[in-house]
Amino acid sequence: MNIFWRELKYSRKSMIWWCVGILFMVVSGMSKYGTMKSSGQSANEIFGAMPKSLQAIFGLSSLDLSTVMGFYGMLFSYLVLMATIHAVMLGANMVAKEERDKTSEFLMAKPVSRIRIITSKLAASLVLLVIFNLVTYAFSTAMVKHYESTADTGEIWKFMAGLLLLQVLFLAIGMVIAAITKHPKRATSLAAGILLAAYILSIVIELNDKLDALKYITPFKYFEAKNLLSDSGVDAVLVTLAAVICAACLSAAFVFYKKRDLKS
Amino acid sequence: MNVIEIKNLTKRYGNARGIEDISFHVEEGEIFGFIGPNGAGKSTTLRTLLSIIFPTSGSATIFGKDVIKHGPEIKKQIGYLPSEVFYYDKMKVKDLLNYSASFYKKDCRKRIHELAEIMDLNLNKRIEDLSYGNRKKVGIVQGMLHEPKLIILDEPTGGLDPLMQQKFFDLLKEENKKGATILFSSHILSEVQKMCDRVAIIKEGELITVEKISTLQENNHKKIKIETKQPVDAGWFAVDGVTNIESDGHKISFLYSGNINIIMKKLAEMELSNLWVDEPDLEEIFLHYYEKEEGSK
Repeated sequence: MNIFWRELKYSRKSMIWWCVGILFMVVSGMSKYGTMKSSGQSANEIFGAMPKSLQAIFGLSSLDLSTVMGFYGMLFSYLVLMATIHAVMLGANMVAKEERDKTSEFLMAKPVSRIRIITSKLAASLVLLVIFNLVTYAFSTAMVKHYESTADTGEIWKFMAGLLLLQVLFLAIGMVIAAITKHPKRATSLAAGILLAAYILSIVIELNDKLDALKYITPFKYFEAKNLLSDSGVDAVLVTLAAVICAACLSAAFVFYKKRDLKS
Repeated sequence: MNVIEIKNLTKRYGNARGIEDISFHVEEGEIFGFIGPNGAGKSTTLRTLLSIIFPTSGSATIFGKDVIKHGPEIKKQIGYLPSEVFYYDKMKVKDLLNYSASFYKKDCRKRIHELAEIMDLNLNKRIEDLSYGNRKKVGIVQGMLHEPKLIILDEPTGGLDPLMQQKFFDLLKEENKKGATILFSSHILSEVQKMCDRVAIIKEGELITVEKISTLQENNHKKIKIETKQPVDAGWFAVDGVTNIESDGHKISFLYSGNINIIMKKLAEMELSNLWVDEPDLEEIFLHYYEKEEGSK
């Protein structure tokens, strides 16, 4: 448990800053909804006049922006980007930092197995992801209620469930990258790079209907607002795929970390 | 009983040299020196013992248990001081020591304070504010706070002033008396000479010899220096066992190994004005080993 608590304590400050970031994102995003509502303009008209490529970049294809939940759906795609950046960096950092900070010789001389070390780090990371998720839920619900007190915020739970799955998925990707790479200092930037590539791919797919089959490659297509809001819900195949990738990355992270020569 | 047993240990890093076919053992209760120049493979060997890195081939046991299979179990009784001491910078010294102690299922608070007292270490400072020598002290306390049965030290004296070194050596001797086995790596021969019972000499990844310190000094060489009234030809000393002759006419010095009576007879035939016979220090023996190795290639 000592490694678990130490990791939580270590991450305290950065977690507070991420929470401030979430607050800023949700408040500033939803305040645009307030502006539009009070000016009587239809958000659908404004955004509908934009070229399709811009719409794709804003992440608002087929969302009804005149409803508060539709508008929140647009904001959600940014929250997803933020949460996944947090998760992928957290995962890479957790695994790489002992080597990067040259503390692996200290830790490895202690009577703990590598499996226990990485399990403790995984557990601490999951707690941080849940905190991120709950804070996002709290701010989102509060702001949506603020602008439409009658809105059905029960839908937000669905968003958060999708968000949490993506967070865990990117945490696992970050961890496996750091466990495999021989350059612990580069692990975090490598993980962030892979995330960015996946994000750009998701926009490209949005722009080009012919590339729809590629949606299996980028996790950003797994839980989209438009699917979460529609009655059909999310594709069961994609949920399963997310779970499988996640399990594969985590087990690979354990196997590689157990066998690697640690730098010091 | 052998506390450490290393069998044909080899570690290669791609084409770069690691260690090649190293075998030796450390007996219970001894202070064992592991000496060689920087980059000879001392740290590589020690890191393999702690399964920080894994051997290419060969194996090692500590307390009779395989270091890879039973790593966590044997580490309960190991204290390790790495050559370069790095810790979590944001932590205070006492937080780090408590964190370190939390890995062992025993109360180490009393021992932490005792050790900090001996080593004159301020527990309330942040690690990032410490000098190199003070970090080393944190490392020493950290490695000994759980009263381990085996203490592994990698270049432990770097950064410590002579007074601290002495306190540290006294501390080690005390632990040794209480029954701790100590493996001590160093490139400074005089400290090994002071501390150790036996030494392993390593060079370029290969083990050159394992000897008792006393054997190294006694059996092998005498350092002889004479002063004569008449100039003497250095060639006069060209007998078996004489090496490193240096002469400036009246003063001649050389190393001698072999039957002491032969050289005494030679000396008795001369008219001497002065004579010195010394034990060579390890440094000279060490150089001698190097030259022998070079010569045999």
